[in-house]
Formats: sequence, C-alpha cells, structure tokens
Amino acid sequence: MGNLIVSFQFDDVYSSIVFLILMGLFMINLIGCTLKILPGQLRKMKDSYYPQPKVDGENLHVKNMNGENFKNILERKRFKVTLTENGFKASKHRIGNIGSSITHLGIIIIVLGSFLSGIFAEEGFFNMVPGDVKSFPDYGFSLKLDDFYLDFKENGSVDQYNSVVTVTELGQDPYQKTLWVNNPLKVKSLNFYQTTYGWGSRLMIEDDEGKLIETKLLRNGESHFYQNEHLSIYLYGFFPNMTITQMGEPITMTEEKINPHYAVMLYEFGQHIGNYILEPGQPIDYGESIMYFEDSILYTGLTYRKDFGYFFVLAGSILMTLGIILSFYFYPKFIVMEDNSVKTVTRQNTWGFNYQVKRLVEDSIAKEE
Amino acid sequence: MDIIFLEELFFTIAFIGYTLAAVLFFIFVALKSEKLGRFAVILTTIGFGIHTIAIILRVIESGRLPFTNQFEFATSFAWGIVLCYLVLHYAYKFTGVGAFVMPIAFLVMGYASMLPKTIKPLMPALQSGWLYLHVGTAVVSYGAFAVAAGLAFMYLIGEKQRKSGDGKSVLPKSEVCDYLSYRVIAFGYLMLTLVIVTGAIWAKAAWSRYWAWDPKETWSLITWLIYSVYIHLRFNRGWKGRPAALFAVIGFICVIFTFIGVNTILPSIHSYR
Repeated sequence: MGNLIVSFQFDDVYSSIVFLILMGLFMINLIGCTLKILPGQLRKMKDSYYPQPKVDGENLHVKNMNGENFKNILERKRFKVTLTENGFKASKHRIGNIGSSITHLGIIIIVLGSFLSGIFAEEGFFNMVPGDVKSFPDYGFSLKLDDFYLDFKENGSVDQYNSVVTVTELGQDPYQKTLWVNNPLKVKSLNFYQTTYGWGSRLMIEDDEGKLIETKLLRNGESHFYQNEHLSIYLYGFFPNMTITQMGEPITMTEEKINPHYAVMLYEFGQHIGNYILEPGQPIDYGESIMYFEDSILYTGLTYRKDFGYFFVLAGSILMTLGIILSFYFYPKFIVMEDNSVKTVTRQNTWGFNYQVKRLVEDSIAKEE
Repeated sequence: MDIIFLEELFFTIAFIGYTLAAVLFFIFVALKSEKLGRFAVILTTIGFGIHTIAIILRVIESGRLPFTNQFEFATSFAWGIVLCYLVLHYAYKFTGVGAFVMPIAFLVMGYASMLPKTIKPLMPALQSGWLYLHVGTAVVSYGAFAVAAGLAFMYLIGEKQRKSGDGKSVLPKSEVCDYLSYRVIAFGYLMLTLVIVTGAIWAKAAWSRYWAWDPKETWSLITWLIYSVYIHLRFNRGWKGRPAALFAVIGFICVIFTFIGVNTILPSIHSYR
C-alpha cells in the first residue's frame, strides 16, 4: 500500500503526474468549451440579434397599460429600444453574453500562472541573528540583520515580530528597512517575508580555572558534543518566562525575559546522566569542566520568494470575478412588446426578470393615472 | 456593568429571539396563520437588531471586527444568515422562507454559544486590512448559502405538500423557491469567489505563497467547485427543481464542513480557535 502511495506520488498529490494530467485535461476541456461557445456569444452581442419569446411564455401585458409610457420607462432604465411594425423590442446588458467566457479565460490564466509558479518560482528560507549578513550574488545585493525584536501586548502575548535589515545593493547607498508579518520587503524581484523566530542560547564551557574552552550558540532542540569529557549537552529549551506544568514539564508563559531558565540534558557516551533546569550563568560542574548558558538572543527566520506566476494568477482572478459579475448581474435581458403582448426573454433569471418587468408595467399605468 | 457582560446579554437575548422566531415560523407554516408569520418576522428583525448591538459592543471592546476566532466567526455567520434572510424577506415578502432559514441561524447561534467568547488580541498573522475583506465576504457568502439551502428545503417540502394534495399553503410557489435559491447561490458564489481571491492575495503578503493547499483552502475550493457544477448543470443542462434543490443542500453541507469540520478535524494554518 505504501509503495502504491509513493509510486503514484499521493504523498505529494498536488505535484503528482496524475494531478498534473487531470489539470491538463481540465484546461483542454475549458479552452475547447470556451472556443465553442464564444462565437455564439459574440453574435448575440450584436444589436441585430433578438431571441424569439416563447409562444407559451407569460404575457405581462395588462389592461390600461400605455405602450409609450412603458417604452419611456425602459429607456430611462437604459434599455436599448428598437421600434418594430407592431410595437418595439428592448434589450439591455448584451455584454453579459460573454460573462462565462471571461470567467473561463480568468480560470485558464490562473491555472497558467500556477504552472508558471510551479516551474519558475524561486523560494528559500534562512535564519539570522543580529549582525549576520546574507548575500544574494545573483541579484547583486545583500541583507544584514541589524536588529530583531518582538512587540508585546499588555497580556504578554506577541504583538508583532520585527526584523530590521540593511539592504546593500551594488552601486547604491545602503538603506534600512523593517519587515514584519504582513509587511514583506521587496528588493529587486525578491520578496522577503517574516516567517519564524526563535531563541539562540550561548553555551559556555570553561575549565576549573575559569578559562574559556568552547562556546557555541544553540537553538532549542540542538546539542553540542564536548569531546574532552565525551559529553553531549542537549538544550531541551530556553524558557524566557518559565513555569512548570502539573505534569512537570517546563513551559514559557510569554516570550518576555521575565524568569529565564534553560532545560538541559547531559549524555556521556550516549548514556543519559542528568536533567537540569538552569538560570542564565548557573553552572553545571562536570569533571574538570564548568558549563553554563550565558544568555539568549532572538533569531529571525525569513522566507524569500520570487514568483512572477502570481501576477498571472492575480490578473486571472480579476478577470474571473469580473466574468462572474457579468454573468449574474449583467445578464442579457430582452423585452418584446407587440400588440397586446409583453414578453421577456432571458436565460439567467426568468422569474426575477419577469418580477421586475411586472413592476415596470405597473409603473407605466400609475404614471398614466 | 461592563461591555463584555452587556455583549453576552445581548447575544443571549438575540439567541432566544431567533429560537422563538424559528418556532413561530414553524407554527405559522403548520397553522397557516398570517398573523403569526408577521409576528415571527418582527421577532427576527428585533433579534437581528439586538444581535447587531452585541456585535457592535464586541467591536468597541476589541477595537476590531469580530472575525478572528471560531466564536466570532460563528456569531458573524449567524448574523450574515439572518441579514440575507431579512433582505430577501423585505424585497419579496415571502414570510414562509423564515421557517427554513431561521432554524439554520438558530443552530449556528447554538454552536457559537458553546464556544469560548474571550476576546484575544489580534495575532501577528491576522494584522492586515485583508482580514476584513476576506472574512467579511465569507460571512455574507456563507449566510447566502444557508438561505439558499433553506429555500431548497422549502422547495422540497412544498413539493411534498403538493403531492399530498394539500392545496392551501403559505409557502411561495415552488418555481419561486427554485429561482430564488438559484439567485441567492449566484450571489453567494460571487462572494465565495471574492473570499478565495482576497485570501490568495493576503496569503501572498503574509505567508509568501498565494496558494498552499492548506485544508481550508482546499475545502473552500471544493465548495466553490460544487457550486460551479450546480450553476453549470442548471444553466446548460436545465437542472431545476428537485435535483437542483438537493444540490443546494449538498453544497451547504460542504460549507458547514469548510467552516467547522476543517477547523476542528484537520490540521490547518487557518485554525484560529
């Protein structure tokens, strides 16, 4: 079963061949359907086209109605009126004929854009601590993280994550920008997004005379192997505002450094030898060495992405929405008044249009009275 | 009395109002008493006014529109349903529609009443003007689909009544239910399209990708496709009446799953509890 899932790429179904083939078939279907219906729709947009009312269609004519008044009302309602031998014909919103084709065209452009994104989009992710520089030689610029800080709300929860960066482009003066969630930074064609953050904790290892032997910046869940003592120092987590749950688990209540503690595990030759909850600077004496976490700093995680397929998706979305509005709210409407007969023709909303026209017919009598 | 207390009080009164209105609408349909129907509409309108006050109080207290967790969306959803119903009622004067729409509003309000009502600060990912467009259109869209499902139910019940030879009925003609259901779905469909489009634009600004096949995105697309099929079958294949009504109900079940199921069952970056 597992092999079947993997061989059909169902573990990543939206990138699988099966899905792509289905999308391809859908596109062929949609393009074919649109090409088939479009000529007819264009023909119906011409003023010369008038559909025939159904013979058994509801006659909205009422006694006393004045055709001239009715015609004037329709003209005021922006109907285009054409006189005939026995009366007149009126039409409105012929543009709505192509609503469905515009919607389909929008969908085709969206899918095309998503294919372009899939093929050409560039995306990456990196972490930085203040002072780090990330170069993008292909694009001729670099980013230096000047600062990363959190804004807090009154209840201690995080209000926003802010990365302050200096952008240095070739041949230009460096400039500083701040990006936060929902406020990406665009440099040339690359967009940078505030994606994640975390704590980097400075591990210090000294000998018994206080001389620094090793130092390393550890993220939560990372470990450092100290060869002299064959020790693995595993940082389970840094908790800036620690409390212990009823289950005995350390957690942090907020990200503010109010009650900072480190949860550390030691392993010697792979054997677990102890768990420690430490304050900053609080040492673990082990053999001839002293280990402690000096302090922690925040690191930022940024995503970068270049994706011109998005502009196709955006254009397609606008077209699709426009097409739907045309289809449902600017659908073609026809009224034929001849002798003692008033009939409507519309495909979209027969009942609703009849309801509106009945009111207009009533208005034409009221006006006369 | 603080604002939160008043908000909960008004919410509860609105809930009671909707419940009573739903019961009255049922009795109205059963007994065919126009007076009861008018009273049910008045009760719904008053309940809606009080519900609106409750929402305004929450907006004052939180400093933003109530769109950020499951309770806030549920209460807005119920508000959207009643709003769509009242617009439809005052435009066409079909009182009987309430008997099928208000029970849905009652259920959604009941669901909202079981959720935690605490006001939480806006998390960083939600701090965007797109929130109001994206969720605002979702409220109206879901509300419209609920009303359409109510109309579809009404069609199915009306059909049964006619078959059993019950001549006099306070329900609108089945042709009217059928057309109104279709038109309301068309409106909901346009709004759902806007929900998806604004969501994609927002996702691009917040998460770098306009589409990531998150369960909420996938299910909103499934819902959109179901209503797309409904519209095509109706327009090109002449599906009206019973099959269209059943389809409208299936579409609404899909809406409910997108709203509640995805948030509670599936792991999603859209799960704002």
